[in-house]
Amino acid sequence: MSQLLNSLLTEQRRGNLTLAVLSQLRTPQYGYSLVKRLEGSGITIEQSTLYPLLRRLEKKDLVTSSWDTSESRPRKYYVLSDYGEDIFQTLKEEWKKATNELFQLLEEENNEMD
Amino acid sequence: MKWIEVYLQEVERRLPEKNREDILLEIQSTIQDMLPENPSENDVKDVLQELGDPVKLAQGYSEKPMHLIGPRYYDLYISLIKLILPIAITVSLITLLAENIIGNVEETSLIGMILSILGKGLWLILSVGMQVFFWITVIFALIERVDFSSEDEEPTSSRKEWTPEKLKKVSHTPKKRAISQWEVYGAIIWTAIWATVYFHADQLLGIYENQGEGLTYITPALNQDVLLSYWPGIVLVIGLEIALALYKLLKKEWSKDVVWFNTIQELLSIGIFVWIITDERLFQSAFINYISDLFQWNSAQVADGLAWRIAAIFIIFAVWNIIDGFIKYKKGVKKTKLKHEFGK
Repeated sequence: MSQLLNSLLTEQRRGNLTLAVLSQLRTPQYGYSLVKRLEGSGITIEQSTLYPLLRRLEKKDLVTSSWDTSESRPRKYYVLSDYGEDIFQTLKEEWKKATNELFQLLEEENNEMD
Repeated sequence: MKWIEVYLQEVERRLPEKNREDILLEIQSTIQDMLPENPSENDVKDVLQELGDPVKLAQGYSEKPMHLIGPRYYDLYISLIKLILPIAITVSLITLLAENIIGNVEETSLIGMILSILGKGLWLILSVGMQVFFWITVIFALIERVDFSSEDEEPTSSRKEWTPEKLKKVSHTPKKRAISQWEVYGAIIWTAIWATVYFHADQLLGIYENQGEGLTYITPALNQDVLLSYWPGIVLVIGLEIALALYKLLKKEWSKDVVWFNTIQELLSIGIFVWIITDERLFQSAFINYISDLFQWNSAQVADGLAWRIAAIFIIFAVWNIIDGFIKYKKGVKKTKLKHEFGK
């Protein structure tokens, strides 16, 4: 039971995580600062998920990366590209629409049960 | 700091070669971000705990598929194995038979010979089966890894979108007209059988005599050098037969095209066969003498008569195959016009 629930939850979260990460990358972020920001909004993401995700986003040209070596230790910064910004806006609108629809659907079901 | 070094090493050896250093540097910098000033050993352990299993972490970066053959090729893979396995086994069994019938002079009893061929045959089936399985798997695993072209796309996006209108182009196949998969497999295996026999004819076709102690191979019937000299014709026939079989597999019914392809293939094949069989050097003279002794005919008559008798059998079969194709096609012509039905 709990294993099934876990895999369903993972599936449900996967798409949302991408959106969450994209939303935080309008200003340059390095890995750990991104984790902190997401945690601040109550979103936990496993680091073993986040870093590979960032690489995939970079490979698809949604984000660009650069090493900052001016500080005491080098950090890899990621930031949304123009293309990534476009994609992010579209995804955001779609997500709002979809959650709205889903919300109403679940509300109706609630009312029927009453 | 030992902990961190070992952790990084565990990640490193599982990372893809390409971005290894870059990825490692990022992880290292992250670990340092997570650690407080002057960390204790427990602090380090906590941080590594949070990063999690190094195997899992490295796996996330993997760009290669984590399976040998994925869903995209699995169906094709299985049907190719099903097709090639029986062909390979048939060909190798006939070859085994050819090599053993002549080679087994010292094996006196018939039962001993049969047992030894049976044993070798079983072993051969096993090893040929393994070879086929192995090589097809290797080839598909390679294709899976080389072909990244449509990896990111949805599997249907490359094709045109499906609409019910497409159903109009697919004709409804009446059962009588349909070509079963087994018919096609049978045809390909038959091609494999006769082609193997053809190239081993001197070892398989001939006179056997029971001289008290099992069968003795007296003389081959055909002159193998003559047979081999016709190889371009034979290769053409084999190519046509396999092309026809694949075309049937594609069309799945006796359509007009299939019927004409079938007719052309039969005519060409029969032409080449008759051409070969009427070659006067084809039959071994020892074989001709044996037959003429047996039936008390004169040997010139035997050579000529035998060739044309065999040719006649081939021609009858070819003509029957052509007619059969047309009959199967005709059976389907009465099919209800689907366009008409759609119109209603």
